Amino acid sequence: MKNTVKARKPVSSQSKFIFFCLLPAILMVGMFTFYPFFRGIGMAFQNYTLFDLTDIHFIGLDNFKTIFTQPQFLQALSNSFYWVFVSLIFQFVIGFILALLLKKPFKGRGVYQGFIFYSWAMSGFLIGIIWRWMLNGQIGVINDLLLKVGLIEERIGFLSDPKWSLASVIVANVWYGIAFFAIMLLAALQSIPDDLYESAGIDGANWFHKLFYVTIPYIMPTIIASTLLRVIWIFNFPDIIYAMTNGGPAGSTHILATYMMDKIMFGGDYGQAGAAGVIMIILLAMYTIFYLTATKSGKGADF
Amino acid sequence: MVRTKRMVLFVFAFVMLISMVLSGCGSSSKDNNDSASKAGNTVTLKMIESLTSPERTEVLKKMLAEFEQQNPGIKVELISPPLQNADTKIATMLAAKEDLDVLEVRDITAKQFVTNKFIEDLKSYTSKWENYKTLNDSAKMSANYINNTPYYIPYGLYQKILFYRKDWFDAKGMTPPATWQEVYEKGKALTDPAQNRYGYAYRGGAGGDNFTLMITQAFNADQINPDDSMFLKDGKTIFSTPESKQAMDLFTKIYQEASPKDSTNWAFSETVESFVSGVTAMLINDPDVIAVTKEKMKEGTWATAPIPLGPTGKAPRFVGAAGWGMTSYSKHKEEAWKLIEFLSNPDQNLVFAKAVGLIPIHTTAADDEFFKKGAYQPFIEMNSKPDAYLMMRDATDYQGYGESKKIAVEDNQALILKQRSIDDVLKNWDKYWTDQKANQKK
Repeated sequence: MKNTVKARKPVSSQSKFIFFCLLPAILMVGMFTFYPFFRGIGMAFQNYTLFDLTDIHFIGLDNFKTIFTQPQFLQALSNSFYWVFVSLIFQFVIGFILALLLKKPFKGRGVYQGFIFYSWAMSGFLIGIIWRWMLNGQIGVINDLLLKVGLIEERIGFLSDPKWSLASVIVANVWYGIAFFAIMLLAALQSIPDDLYESAGIDGANWFHKLFYVTIPYIMPTIIASTLLRVIWIFNFPDIIYAMTNGGPAGSTHILATYMMDKIMFGGDYGQAGAAGVIMIILLAMYTIFYLTATKSGKGADF
Repeated sequence: MVRTKRMVLFVFAFVMLISMVLSGCGSSSKDNNDSASKAGNTVTLKMIESLTSPERTEVLKKMLAEFEQQNPGIKVELISPPLQNADTKIATMLAAKEDLDVLEVRDITAKQFVTNKFIEDLKSYTSKWENYKTLNDSAKMSANYINNTPYYIPYGLYQKILFYRKDWFDAKGMTPPATWQEVYEKGKALTDPAQNRYGYAYRGGAGGDNFTLMITQAFNADQINPDDSMFLKDGKTIFSTPESKQAMDLFTKIYQEASPKDSTNWAFSETVESFVSGVTAMLINDPDVIAVTKEKMKEGTWATAPIPLGPTGKAPRFVGAAGWGMTSYSKHKEEAWKLIEFLSNPDQNLVFAKAVGLIPIHTTAADDEFFKKGAYQPFIEMNSKPDAYLMMRDATDYQGYGESKKIAVEDNQALILKQRSIDDVLKNWDKYWTDQKANQKK
């Protein structure tokens, strides 16, 4: 009897130990991720408004029906698409170019790197406020510069003209996100062994070949993981838009994330906001599955 | 043995971690008791403000320090969330019954706080408060706005006035506009895009709903039911009349011909900035802007005037208010009232009103020279002509009030950008408020 217990003990106490090690993480994630997550999903099917918290009850799909009939929601949906993909493409391309440039050592590289990564360290709201004043159609510095250079004759309402507003917030977002790709891709580039380039060179590969047959394939897992993450982050990133235009003018810069915030800020309607959130979850889940299957990234990346 | 020891150590560390996490995010009611026992029955009041600005917080902190000095047994801890969505934060804290004793209640949040039983009826305290009698009519009305019960004591009143560039008007030999029609005409006369100069600081973005409402109400004037200001005396909404169409037509012209194109999405800060930096000649705003103009503009370049009138020579006006209330679940109600009483007494209120730029709440303040001359003059003038400046009750007790502001801004933006027609927009607002009324009766 005593023997069997002794024989088993190491295993069970080890798994107990593992369990206790995991417990804090499980509790934290449960408390701060899953509880709000399921609570939010629940709210999507409830009449839940801040105006009257004494009257909360289930109303089925009414919240979804309401938001699907709102033209602002449909516009936010299509804006989200442009917001995510245009931002992503420019962030990636410019970030990649910067990473390539920073790969070779040169004097003052560390300082220069610091400047490039700077935007990533700022809060989205702060960036939004800075760009909002820079792009101001009347007293903004960008209009002033364009006028002085002589590129334009009349001030452009970057944030007040629906033709420009979405492009303007995307520019701010691109500026913000370049740093992320520069950091991630630079780290991956530095892990490429030099002998690969050497042997490619011996085989007669030029710069272009090296880029497309050595560099890019080697860092592909990083590219897939970082673009996947970025799409999700940009999609869920209302800060810049909220601070710059608050979705205006006339809803022309609303994305789903700011639309959802609007529901809470102005209407205090947690039910409809929850419904918008559920739709966002579904879209992101579909996107993730599609993207990972399409890129066959079973191995995923190394972070 | 070693393993057991490690286990014990681990469990101990884990318990520490959890208790740290829980005390960090849970309510800190324990802290109060702890500090009370340590410092010999010191009560710590938690207070949260809403219309936060760095300057205002400083003034408030000075007042609180004085209060603590007068009441050695009470400490006040002030929470100052950022202005944007502070009210949502307060509501969330109240719903979670977080430790709060004194809070800033605004006219627009009062109904919600009362419905959800977040805030305390102050009647038993105000009945004993000697200075309650000297509250002016607007302050009393605001305090008792919901269910005729004092749920908060205003710290000041907001009422819109017109700010204008006195030097520009003088240069053209013009007087400040008395009517909306004159805002348009004189604004147009002052507009000169080549000089980057425009007549009117149009507010198309957040808060712009106040102005579309202001002009439609000025045009409907006497027909409006003053107790239910989104509706006429005959029960229809104010947006259903031909006068409203004229109003919106004129307002759109003010945007198109007398305002910067960029103002489609301007909110508070842009309009104020455009006025103080010499881009726009007229600005309608609350008295708290006086502090800004005084600081940033040369004396003599600007002045104030009453709000513009409608075609019948009348203009409805609102008095906005915000003040201090007490949570319904506060454990230190007596002390909380002491603080509210202190902040609301005539001398302290005068300090606050002057520093922040508000209309004071006590009748005694009318004797103060500060409010008799200069920028505050229009308030006294409007108060003395109740037949022309009709006092209205805001529609804050409708559930859709908050959302209607957003809809008004978006629809109006679509209107001035020529994406929608006036008829279309007015029909939408008319329907919205008709539905609101129907739902409220249910």
